[in-house]
Amino acid sequence: MSAETILVEKLSKTYKVPEREGGFGAAVRSFFKRKYNEVKAVQEVNFRLTQGEIVGFLGPNGAGKTTTLKMLSGLLHPTGGKAHVLGFTPWELKPDYLRSMTLVMGQRNRLAWDIPAADSFLLNQAIYRIPEDEYKKTYKELDELLELGPLMKKPVRNLSLGERMKCEIAAGLLHRPRVLFLDEPTIGLDITGQAHIREFLREYNRRTGATILLTSHYMADVTALCERIIIIHHGQLKYDGGINELSRKIAPFKLIGVILAESNSHDLSKYGTLVRNEEDWEKQYIQVKAEDVTRVTSGLLADLPIHDITITDPPIEDVIEQAFNQ
Amino acid sequence: MNVLKLLSAFLKVNIQMSLAYRADTVVNILLNLMWLGWELLSLGIIFSNTDTIGGWGFGELIALLGVFRLVHTLMIALIWPNTEKFNQSIRDGSMDYTLLQPVNSMFLVTFSRITVWRAWDLILAAILIVIGVNMAGDTTTLLSVLTFILLTVSGTIVIYSLWIVLIALTFWFTKFDNNVTILQALLDAGRYPVTVYPVWLRILVTFIIPIAVATTVPLQALRGDLNLSRVLMFLVIGLASFLVASQVWKRGLKQYSGASS
Repeated sequence: MSAETILVEKLSKTYKVPEREGGFGAAVRSFFKRKYNEVKAVQEVNFRLTQGEIVGFLGPNGAGKTTTLKMLSGLLHPTGGKAHVLGFTPWELKPDYLRSMTLVMGQRNRLAWDIPAADSFLLNQAIYRIPEDEYKKTYKELDELLELGPLMKKPVRNLSLGERMKCEIAAGLLHRPRVLFLDEPTIGLDITGQAHIREFLREYNRRTGATILLTSHYMADVTALCERIIIIHHGQLKYDGGINELSRKIAPFKLIGVILAESNSHDLSKYGTLVRNEEDWEKQYIQVKAEDVTRVTSGLLADLPIHDITITDPPIEDVIEQAFNQ
Repeated sequence: MNVLKLLSAFLKVNIQMSLAYRADTVVNILLNLMWLGWELLSLGIIFSNTDTIGGWGFGELIALLGVFRLVHTLMIALIWPNTEKFNQSIRDGSMDYTLLQPVNSMFLVTFSRITVWRAWDLILAAILIVIGVNMAGDTTTLLSVLTFILLTVSGTIVIYSLWIVLIALTFWFTKFDNNVTILQALLDAGRYPVTVYPVWLRILVTFIIPIAVATTVPLQALRGDLNLSRVLMFLVIGLASFLVASQVWKRGLKQYSGASS
């Protein structure tokens, strides 16, 4: 057996999607004769995760992230390639496999709407056959990390989105899964809500050594949790590696921020590409190649009345966006 | 053992859910009583004009109403609420969670919603059957009662299997919200003894779409109208339909995991 917790080899998924042109006539024709279009959602993707890793799985909408997570959790059969998670082939849906993993989707509910989450938890205890003492222990731990106490007694429909997400995540973890697939677990939450979930995931991973594969559109989630990221676009793997190496590889640039002592009338564009920064109007930013930083900086200092100068890495959001577009 | 534990966990959750809507529960119980009164009244009106329908007397029809209500309880207490949940979970995608639970998905889909207070309907149905059989004055033996119970169970399984097939079709069609309306309409045909229908319709509702199997047939056994080979045949139909239904369900899941996105 392999040492990898998750092993994905040439995993592919092609959908057949019914397709028709707009208009009434086309609608009638398609009722009798459907035309199908093949959509290659995932194309020969390879990656491995070792135990205890938290990996960010990134890509723009429709890149194939959810499809991949669904194959890895066992919901979808791939059209090609193979995957092993904890030594199981996910789509065989073996009960032992289902008991050792969890899939949490930020946009879906597993908790019954009309009753308090505590009651749904007990149902999960029965479904996953969790022994009483183990259940109590896990619940206590989750309660401590997520502060579930006050939420447990209200019907789920009366909880705020953030509160509900906490409960949803807890419900998905009662059986102490060793592998977590999280599909946008922080979607729609406010900043504090996101931070809570993030902190929880980091702590949970530290305590249990669980392997986590996570998708998110919030880069803060990714930068806070993941040292490694995998990027896919149009179903193809674009990048797999350290989050810091990504900037070096994709965007070997630095940003030089300048505040001039006098007016802003000096033309800075001859030093490098000017970049806008919405958060900081006072400063002007110039993007330059990493190897040119020293030369450009000394040039700036020599030529212009500089009040303040900073050198920073470009924000990771921009780098990732650039990676998508490559 | 584990199945029983799970069932009791489902029951608990569902009792809690119906307690959350107290007014709804009370209104439903009252409505249900009125409905029963209406059904008895209409039977009374029919029999003030005639003594038999299709060879069945007043008492026998009351007993049939009882059996009909047994099956009807299955519809109301399990099939309707679970269909609603099923259709919704296909639409909003929470079906994914159901499929990833380490329990047979057909079991989950069958029992995750139970309209608990309907249980008393079963008692009501039993009373109707006992009263009806007594009124009819048919002689019943221990054997005929046992056969009756067996055939009721097997008939119920036939209806249940039919339901599973109908909702499994959703996996292919994605949208099939009327799945149970069809079943209900068919079931309503079982309110009267199949012997009142013309032969072709009788064959249709006994064999092709076997509604009568769950209503008329058990009572025929109670009256002693069925010979052993007939009884065996109906039991085999029950078993076979269950096997077919679980196969269709499995295929449906495969379809779902192949096509959904």
